[in-house]
Amino acid sequence: MNDRPDAAELLEIARRTLLDQMLPRLPQDLRYSALMIANAMVIAARERAGGDADASAELARLQTFYDAPQQALAGRALAEALIEYNRRLAADIRAGRCDDRAGLRDHLERATADKLRVSNPQALKN
Amino acid sequence: MDLNATDTRVRIEAFLRAVAKADAVRVTRLERMSGGAVQENWALDAEVTGGAHTGAQQWVLRTDAKARVELSLRRSEEFRILQVAHAAGLQAPRPLWLCQEPDVTGREFFVMQRLPGTAGGHRLTRDAALIPDRTRLARELAVNLARLHAIKPPHPGLNFLKTTLARDDIADYRACLDRMREPHPALEWGLRWCELNAPRDEETTFIHRDYRTGNYLVHDGWLAGVLDWEFAAFGNPLEDIGWIFAKCWRFAGKHLPAGGIAEAADFLAPYQQESGRTVTAKALVYWQVMAHARWAMIALQQAERHRSGVEPSLELALTGRIVAELEHEIMALTR
Repeated sequence: MNDRPDAAELLEIARRTLLDQMLPRLPQDLRYSALMIANAMVIAARERAGGDADASAELARLQTFYDAPQQALAGRALAEALIEYNRRLAADIRAGRCDDRAGLRDHLERATADKLRVSNPQALKN
Repeated sequence: MDLNATDTRVRIEAFLRAVAKADAVRVTRLERMSGGAVQENWALDAEVTGGAHTGAQQWVLRTDAKARVELSLRRSEEFRILQVAHAAGLQAPRPLWLCQEPDVTGREFFVMQRLPGTAGGHRLTRDAALIPDRTRLARELAVNLARLHAIKPPHPGLNFLKTTLARDDIADYRACLDRMREPHPALEWGLRWCELNAPRDEETTFIHRDYRTGNYLVHDGWLAGVLDWEFAAFGNPLEDIGWIFAKCWRFAGKHLPAGGIAEAADFLAPYQQESGRTVTAKALVYWQVMAHARWAMIALQQAERHRSGVEPSLELALTGRIVAELEHEIMALTR
């Protein structure tokens, strides 16, 4: 087990240092880069804080959608299973095989909202 | 690419001297301008002696950046488009000279007039002082776009342009998704919706395909010129309207549908009047879905440029994380 501060705490203080101490003293042409770095750091922090929760919920919904047995996975296996299910779903949507499937819109809205809560939670409020 | 390497600069001066039919051309400033991940724009100031351009000149040298986006046109084609646009009286920088000699800078480039003003989308939608009369600017943008859409195929100066209507767009975007490493069900949903709701009949005109806030210059509150013609094509004119209306191009003005700078009617009324074309509420939603889908394809490609190692860039990397916003908007618009 690593010592504290942990990854999230390090990212947070690194970001605060960038924004509070460095940004005010950066020349104009580097401000945008600094803001992008801060944004990348906060996205990474949110992604890490969320862990596998969103991905697990997405997999559970997809298993329900496809009448597959509920099987909990983690880490790499979870990511691979999701890619596989989503590949199948993408093909089914394109072919019009689920035009009338109840629950599809809800599933996609939730998956999209979950991603947005990580990449840009502000956009969810608009 | 550094155009300021002494040899390169000398070759640029020699090129300019020849095309401007001048006795001498001295480049006094050559500086990369901000913006343009796909193309590089260089501010070029020159002292010209002799010929029609004698005096101090302010130009822009436009050339390809490192990696081209697969959908964009060549510089020589963009140059010809600017010639047509300028001849039609559209608000655009005046194209001056095209250089296709690889020996000058190593890449194709053209030189155009440098227009004054501010283009930055965040600034224009945030700083009210830049646009004292929003209705007037929306009208200028709308009337200029209506005139752009009055150019129709076939056109002798634009025979290299492809024609892309709604169903062609859908096929293009699906092909783009097929080249990506991961599946994108929400984008597939949007494209399926576009397929099911595709217009039965479509008009075909010249379209800009990047006519939006961030790509036009505002000077003293007036429209000074429209930039970035590299995606132009023949297609459904309503595509351009969906693009400038799309939420992803409203920057800080999310509540103002017309490019984040004005109310919908401020743009649509003068556009409809000038063009004689009706923009229905349904068409406006349809082409906004298309707009978000198209921007998502470009965002995926840009993220891939970073991920593949072709062009490591934080900006390109973060563009990959914009896709969620676009999907979210597609889900909302198709409800």
